[in-house]
Amino acid sequence: MDGEDIELFARSIRNATREHTGQALDAALAEVGWCDALTFAPRAAIATLFECQGADNVTSSALCHVVQHALGVDDTPAARVVLPPIGQWHPPATVTHRGLHVNGLVPAALRHRASVVVIAPTGRSDGVFEVPTTSLAFDRVDGIDPHCGLLQVAGADIDPATDRGPTADGWAAAVALARVAIAHELVGASRTMLELAREHALGRIQFGRPISSFQAIRHRLAETLVAIEMAEATLDLAWLDMTEQTAAMAKAVAGRQARTTARHCQQVLAGIGFTTEHPLHLYIRRTLLLDGLFGTAASLTRALGEEIMSIGQLPRKLVL
Amino acid sequence: MTDAVSGATDLEDFRSSVESWLDENHSKLAPAYQGSGTLEQQMSHLATVKRLVYDAGFMRCGWPERVGGFGGSSLMRAYLGEALTARDLVEPGLYSMTEVLAPTMIDYATPELAATMVPALLRGDETWCQGFSEPGTGSNLASLSCRADRAGEGWRVSGQKVWTSLAQYAQRCVLLTRTGTPESAHKGITALFVDMDAPGITVRPIQAMHGVEEFSEVFFEDVAVPLARTLGQVNGGWAVAMDLLPYERSTSLWHRGAYLHRRLQDLVTTAPVGALDPVKLGEVTQLLYAFVARSRATQHRMANNERLGPETSIDKVLLATAEQAIFDLAAETLTPELTVSDDPESERWRTAYLYARAATIYGGSAEIQRNIIARRLLDLGNDR
Repeated sequence: MDGEDIELFARSIRNATREHTGQALDAALAEVGWCDALTFAPRAAIATLFECQGADNVTSSALCHVVQHALGVDDTPAARVVLPPIGQWHPPATVTHRGLHVNGLVPAALRHRASVVVIAPTGRSDGVFEVPTTSLAFDRVDGIDPHCGLLQVAGADIDPATDRGPTADGWAAAVALARVAIAHELVGASRTMLELAREHALGRIQFGRPISSFQAIRHRLAETLVAIEMAEATLDLAWLDMTEQTAAMAKAVAGRQARTTARHCQQVLAGIGFTTEHPLHLYIRRTLLLDGLFGTAASLTRALGEEIMSIGQLPRKLVL
Repeated sequence: MTDAVSGATDLEDFRSSVESWLDENHSKLAPAYQGSGTLEQQMSHLATVKRLVYDAGFMRCGWPERVGGFGGSSLMRAYLGEALTARDLVEPGLYSMTEVLAPTMIDYATPELAATMVPALLRGDETWCQGFSEPGTGSNLASLSCRADRAGEGWRVSGQKVWTSLAQYAQRCVLLTRTGTPESAHKGITALFVDMDAPGITVRPIQAMHGVEEFSEVFFEDVAVPLARTLGQVNGGWAVAMDLLPYERSTSLWHRGAYLHRRLQDLVTTAPVGALDPVKLGEVTQLLYAFVARSRATQHRMANNERLGPETSIDKVLLATAEQAIFDLAAETLTPELTVSDDPESERWRTAYLYARAATIYGGSAEIQRNIIARRLLDLGNDR
């Protein structure tokens, strides 16, 4: 895609996330050919959709498509792959002598498929298994973010319908790409939180002047922009080489900075931002959930430090 | 000039030419002193390195031909400083002064003046300093009061500057002066290019907390400056200053990123087993890599001739945050080195830790950067 095509594509994605969520958004994305874009322009497809999704606080099955794309198992047009449980990034299934054991998360749309796909470690590689939906239990996730559109999925001692052999690029590559997608969604959510706080600060008058004229408020908002730009810069880094390490960094930084953003913006929005009459709480909820998907900022940051210490080397230096 | 350099318009070629030349000439380029060395040693070593790199042609790459350069992308300048810093051949703060002052001369001096002066800076023959701050003028630069009055064929300058880095070594100074009324604020400032050996200039170095006399007070007593040394328009000095400040946050920050990368790797390598906290190490690494990624994008914008502006304040905030976090971690990890050891390497950690305290103060304090971000990037309007 060249510049003009990307702009056109971005506009149709923006319209889709502004108007739809959940399965309606899945349908709208199918119409604009988002899955094709994922194949031939992955960065534009992922960055645009996930930032818009975060900015508009909507959900879709796109994260499953990202994982399937990285695994090389996107041979069906439907999203069908099971995501890891919250806070985890290991494959969501294990193979035991009695059959498959599944524990993970899926977008609500997957309940209506005849079968889903799970990845499980099998010896040296990761195996791909088709599991009939009837052999799984689905439970709606309310939790901190009842609009997250996710279901808990679990099953034990399952005889899989098909064993499709090892994955093309492996689970680690899928985790990396999923983390980058979620990082974009966190950045999108953060940008909306900042815009909500900024508008409030400009309009809210106290002591005879807009609170945006007080340095305490200005510096909080400036701090927030720095936090978001830091997450954006780390995403640039991830796209430059797309290693597991830089993707994990992008996710960790985006997660931490989204929490920072939420804290500053809630303080600026003050009373109104503490009510359900203002949309801020939706973004705070989503931020916490997204931070947990594929590993929290805290756990990824610790893992990075431990890895550096064990090999005695910083990650590869960024080339100009 | 070597053949390798003449064809190096492409960054990849430049990179490999620089690397192999640095490999071959390491013994000539490496400092003789241990640890940080004294400022005296650093300055004389810097002149040696600049001369060698200039004669090899690399120092001229990325600078316009009309000031003795070979033209080409400014990315080459960014890369050269990175390579010299990553190999510990120069102190990045001293080396990068060129990146702040040469572009200003190229943009604002008369073509003849720029063509005469800039090569001497690039070659390491001269050191230049930047006379902006005054005792009564810190963050509020537009309030400066060092006066320049027209007298005969030139200017007469009287007043005082402070925090003037390397003034005691400098042959020239890019000086901001008050040429309008005291109330004229940013509308009555003129930039001059002043010879530091002119009669009437006194320099008094100040010792900073890290033990280095890095900056000075500079006193001007009826100093004559020729009219041809005016930079930009009379009463147009604010534009000179505003265009210079983003250069403080572009190429020189990329060089600083290379330095911080090296120091953090040194910390990982030398930390005793069990002394490093993995969570803090992970977070500090993220801060550094985010800053470097941000600065990389800025280098590319500059190379594409985009105008740098207030968005570089974010680069500066990220640098200051990363630098302080790295040396805070060093201080927590290398307690004996930081506190009681007097060998050159310990001294170097201590100096770097203490110097890092200034990262949120110099070049526009952390608060000023946030003011710029609030007003210019977030469009929050006036602050009163």
